[in-house]
Amino acid sequence: MSPVVQSRGKKITAADNLYTVILAVAFCVVLATAVFVAYQCYTQYDTIFKIQ
Amino acid sequence: MSTLTKVLIVLLTISSIFLCGIVVTYVANADNYKQKYESQNNSYQSAKRNEDNAKTQLNNTIEEKNREAEKLGEQIASLEDQINKLKGDLANAGRERDDAVRKVNNWMTIVKDFSVTVEKNQQLVKDALAERDTKEAELIKQGKELKDTTAALMENMAIVRQLQEGSKRLLEEKTELQNKLDQYLRQYGKAIAAPSPVTPKREAVRVAPPTKDIDLAGMITEVDLKNLLAEISIGAAEGVKAGMRFHLTRDDKFICDIVILDVWPEKAVGWLELLQEQPQNQPKINDKVSTNL
Repeated sequence: MSPVVQSRGKKITAADNLYTVILAVAFCVVLATAVFVAYQCYTQYDTIFKIQ
Repeated sequence: MSTLTKVLIVLLTISSIFLCGIVVTYVANADNYKQKYESQNNSYQSAKRNEDNAKTQLNNTIEEKNREAEKLGEQIASLEDQINKLKGDLANAGRERDDAVRKVNNWMTIVKDFSVTVEKNQQLVKDALAERDTKEAELIKQGKELKDTTAALMENMAIVRQLQEGSKRLLEEKTELQNKLDQYLRQYGKAIAAPSPVTPKREAVRVAPPTKDIDLAGMITEVDLKNLLAEISIGAAEGVKAGMRFHLTRDDKFICDIVILDVWPEKAVGWLELLQEQPQNQPKINDKVSTNL
């Protein structure tokens, strides 16, 4: 994906890299959330998935 | 890239951020059940220990209660004994009270009688005082009469004294006249005959003094047969004198005589006379002596 230069008179659109960044941010948010949840589970129950 | 894809990417991103925020918020605010479990477990263990302690204390309290109950039972038994004893004492006190009431009634009767007697005695004292006053008045009156009589007696004594002086003077004159008459008659060889009263004097009959029986009696207190001496239990205090003769007897049997030689206030010693030869008739201690048989 490469930035597309729009000609004068045409509608301005964002480059495709922007959506890639947005997806990366979403992935990072989800990843951070998962890490946080895993950390909380480990600190509170001394395990991540196992039910004692 | 199509617009739909872009929209979906944006929506996916927004929804992911939203859901992740919710999840983070939920997880951050979720309860720490492990910590709660530990705290509850600790509370349970402590409650269990408290229960054990409470049971121990309960058992101790029950044992102490039983001991106190036994002690209280013993105290109750002793108190019941004391109550019975006190009931007995109360009954005795009641009897003593009744006796005291009877004594009080008796004493009240005696006091009433005594009061009556005291009133009678007071009346008698009043009568006696009145009689004494009367007697004192009579005594004063008799004293006055005695003074008058004494004064009259003194006057009569003075008259008698004057008469005695007159009689003495008459006797002297009579003696002088008789001497003169003797001298006058002697010249003629005559003498005066003794005058004799015209009426003879009568003398009162004298009564002879009554004879008194001595009648002394005593006992032999000591005997000395070698020297023929004996001591008797009476002396000068009873009227024993030296030279008196006592008769010594034993059971209506004559033993001998004792002639008193020396006398003391409470004893006397005498000479044994008319002794007999038989040994059974010799004087002994405690034989009776007397002046009269």
